Amino acid sequence: MSKREAPSRARTVVLTLAALGLVVAVSVVGLGLYNVSARAGHLPGVSWVLHTTFRNSVDLRAPPQSEAPDLTDPDLIALGAGHFDVACRMCHAAPGETRAATVRTMVPEPPHITEAVESWNAGELFWIVREGVKMSGMPAWPAPSREDEVWAVVAFLTSVGDMSGESYDALTAQPETERAAVAFCATCHGSDGMSGNAQIPRLDIQNPGYLLTALQAFRNGMRASGIMQQAASLVPEATLAELADHYGAQPTGEASAEVDPALSEAGEALAEARTGDTEVPACRACHGPWPERLSPDFPALAGQHEHYLRKQLSLWKEGRRGGGPRSDLMHQAAADLTEDEIAALAAYYASLPPARLGATEAAAR
Amino acid sequence: MTSWRVTRPGIFAPCLLLLLLPACDGPQSALAPAGREAELLADLFWIMLAGAVVLWLAINGLMFYVTRINVGHMPRRLAEGIIIGGGIVFPVIVLAALLGYGLTLMPLTRVPGDGLRIRVTGEQWWWRVEYWPEGAEAPVVAANEVRLPSGRRTDIELAAHEVIHSFWIPALGGKTDMFPGRDTLMTLEPLTPGVYRGQCAEFCGESHALMAFQAVVLPEEEFADWLEAEAAPARPPSGPLEAAGQEVFLAQGCGACHTVRGTPATGAVGPDLTHVGSRLTIGAGTLPPTAEALANWIAHPGTIKPGVEMPSYDELAPDDLAALAAWLEGLE
Repeated sequence: MSKREAPSRARTVVLTLAALGLVVAVSVVGLGLYNVSARAGHLPGVSWVLHTTFRNSVDLRAPPQSEAPDLTDPDLIALGAGHFDVACRMCHAAPGETRAATVRTMVPEPPHITEAVESWNAGELFWIVREGVKMSGMPAWPAPSREDEVWAVVAFLTSVGDMSGESYDALTAQPETERAAVAFCATCHGSDGMSGNAQIPRLDIQNPGYLLTALQAFRNGMRASGIMQQAASLVPEATLAELADHYGAQPTGEASAEVDPALSEAGEALAEARTGDTEVPACRACHGPWPERLSPDFPALAGQHEHYLRKQLSLWKEGRRGGGPRSDLMHQAAADLTEDEIAALAAYYASLPPARLGATEAAAR
Repeated sequence: MTSWRVTRPGIFAPCLLLLLLPACDGPQSALAPAGREAELLADLFWIMLAGAVVLWLAINGLMFYVTRINVGHMPRRLAEGIIIGGGIVFPVIVLAALLGYGLTLMPLTRVPGDGLRIRVTGEQWWWRVEYWPEGAEAPVVAANEVRLPSGRRTDIELAAHEVIHSFWIPALGGKTDMFPGRDTLMTLEPLTPGVYRGQCAEFCGESHALMAFQAVVLPEEEFADWLEAEAAPARPPSGPLEAAGQEVFLAQGCGACHTVRGTPATGAVGPDLTHVGSRLTIGAGTLPPTAEALANWIAHPGTIKPGVEMPSYDELAPDDLAALAAWLEGLE
């Protein structure tokens, strides 16, 4: 045999194998030979391969735990619990609860929550909640820009391991209200809109018009929030106005917390454009206190939680905060804010007596 | 000797240049000076041009002489005379004379002002203007228009906010760059009352070409009257339409960025609008100051001036927009 013939024989072998592979592939994909039955489960060894791949993939990509905020903050845990209850509990169940029979026949089977968190650290949980897991039924976080919200869920997950059913129910209980839709919102915002949680905004200071714009922005995806987009999508569109009217009509409650007076004074000077800074618009011209009538399209900030204001201002500054049709105004307004200015402004507005926009006019006169 | 003739392009080129001559006149021309500094610069230009013409004629004359008239062998002394005389001595004398003349002009442009100081800050893409009359403790703030008394020397302090700009009113003087963090100074003495056009002369971003302004030179008395009126608060709305317009302005957050003295609006991010209706243009030399143009600007600033910081108010109801524009137009 001459040397020239050797490569052509090797080629024949490769081509034959490739043709056989193609026939098998076409048969499996095109003729439906592979059994996708969840009841049948995986072939021996496949489960192990898939699960090991999953674990190693998460290990490789998870951020270090040092990136986590304070995960023991009770307000953050409560926010995460509220979201878990409406978005995750349906598969993973609550502490002290059994998973639904249907869920238990999923492949792979979603682990019960106390078991699901057992072998992961906070960074890994963060990655799983943010990214989801392909072909497992675990979805990705609906608002990729809102990592701050993912950490709230992680805060809940790191404390759920030894949580009793009673503690869970206390965290996620729906207060008794006349309207079922309000009870759903009231888990986090309170039935009077006076959320006692610094992570969750008070609604008792807003006008119905602004609340409806915000709910619609969440519902149509114009305002990114994995938590509120989920909540707003669970409520029928027609009910949104009813909810806005309910919270827009609640009596405005008491001030929520003390703030640093020096910080608040610096914020006041900024809000009133008294600093000579030509980069920061006067906040009060839209958000009050203002001696004239203000457009009801603008949100009130007086008495809002300091932490919430700070977080929202940062989101605006970074271009991660959407909203209604006027949101472009606030993007421009917040673009040049510094971290110190954000802290000062949040302290100032949190220090003001809680009030709706219309109600601040008389005070400023 | 070979014959030579003027080629066709040789005839057409000067004719085409003649067509450009009308551009040398008008409100934005350094060749139609209306102020002391611009006159000095125009004189300098004409003298330099005359010098250049003399040099051009001499060099080409010599070239013509050695290639066409006195072709061939040349006595060594004559050749050296042409090289040393025409190549060294003559240019040294001409350039030294022109340089000496040019240098004598510099002190004349640095004579300090008579008292009025105007501070102009280059913004993206508009001009913040502050008038500081002698002894004033607070400025009279305006925008996008510089008014100057004729026959008086005015100090102009130049600054910039974010990027470098350049302040240039060709009919009144030379250009001076404006730097963030460093003030520059120029002094102008306008002589002929009139309206001239200024333009940013340093590329500063997307809408650099739309960063212009009007320079209005007024007789001294008129200027004093104007400045007094400019220092006053905005006049109250006359009629229900203007009152509605003011209400829209104050309800929609315009006061966050704009000041209208006499109202709660004290924002300092954008131009002061206290007397916007009396300006000759809006949008920094971009549109006429009519209610129609104002409404168009408020609803679509970004399409008129790309990259502008002002957000668009296209969400305003048409009636509200019309009322707002009418009120602004009336702020004289």
